Amino acid sequence: MRGMNGVGESLRESAVFNFAGAVTMVIDDSPFALELTAQAVLGFGIKVRHACSSAAEAIAVLRDHPVDLILVDCEMPGMSGYEFVRWLRRSGLEPNAFAPVIMTAAHVRRSKVSEARDCGANFLITKPFSAGVLLERIVWVARDARPFLEVGDYFGPDRRFRSEPWEGLERRSEEIRKAEFEAQRRASIEL
Amino acid sequence: MTVITHNRRRSRLSTLIDQPGGVSAGVALAQAKANLAEMEGRSRAVIEEEVAALALLQPAASLEETARVLDQAYNHSSAVIDAAGPFELKDLCAAAANLCDLIDAAPEDKPFDWRIVTVHAQALRLLLTLPADAAEVRTQVLASLKDVLKAKVPGIAGPSD
Repeated sequence: MRGMNGVGESLRESAVFNFAGAVTMVIDDSPFALELTAQAVLGFGIKVRHACSSAAEAIAVLRDHPVDLILVDCEMPGMSGYEFVRWLRRSGLEPNAFAPVIMTAAHVRRSKVSEARDCGANFLITKPFSAGVLLERIVWVARDARPFLEVGDYFGPDRRFRSEPWEGLERRSEEIRKAEFEAQRRASIEL
Repeated sequence: MTVITHNRRRSRLSTLIDQPGGVSAGVALAQAKANLAEMEGRSRAVIEEEVAALALLQPAASLEETARVLDQAYNHSSAVIDAAGPFELKDLCAAAANLCDLIDAAPEDKPFDWRIVTVHAQALRLLLTLPADAAEVRTQVLASLKDVLKAKVPGIAGPSD
């Protein structure tokens, strides 16, 4: 069975999740693209609380309101999505500076690839993407247990995705919980 | 270089996701697709508007103006991808992305070959009007656009092309 703990893994149809109480912000300068995103996530049980047409509008909201999930377009006039995420991570706003951020892009300019990697977002989705991919990524960032790092100019989730197995003692609490759950699940099947 | 590690606190989202209630992925996707399906007609209208705006753009009169006009073309093309993306209109997305790649790779100190924009606008219009079962023509149109990309930006086209 494929899980949903890694990048690129798919969701099981029967997997259940609850995003009903998530305070969600969508930032997009295109009203139609914003509405498309809002309608897609509404299907997942997420009502967009803050729909912002610019980074400046979003910043004004974030100063006063805690947000659980942010979906932001990369290319916007004025402050871009990359600049916005960089600002957010360095804002010192609690808890918003650590909020899960998914960036969306119709196209990523070659000159912006390093900005996309270094701005501090949890994930970048390039369009076209299906509702399934969006859901998978939202579930993924909700379960994203990477620590935040400050390295030079970078402030954001640890960018290293380790996939190679570790031979030593597992000390990561998330991995220990997953192993315990898996052991219980196997035991229940064998019963 | 100094590395400061902030211990990961569980985000509220990570707590909410496992709360009782909620929906299954299957139901969520069905709901999302139903919501999006209601927007498909408007999506097509938006795409047509953006393609029309792209076709109306005029080449820049000077090198200084080139960047501004190309930004407009890039934005129209991106908007096509935005609107077409959720509806599996992969050919329109591919054609628009091809133009974005070409504009992105254009050297700033040289005039841009405006025929590239014209050809892409025409191709997008054609793709919009082709019947759903004209798969072969769609493939040919996309292949010809990809040839433009290969010719103008050697090395950018992927191995699948």
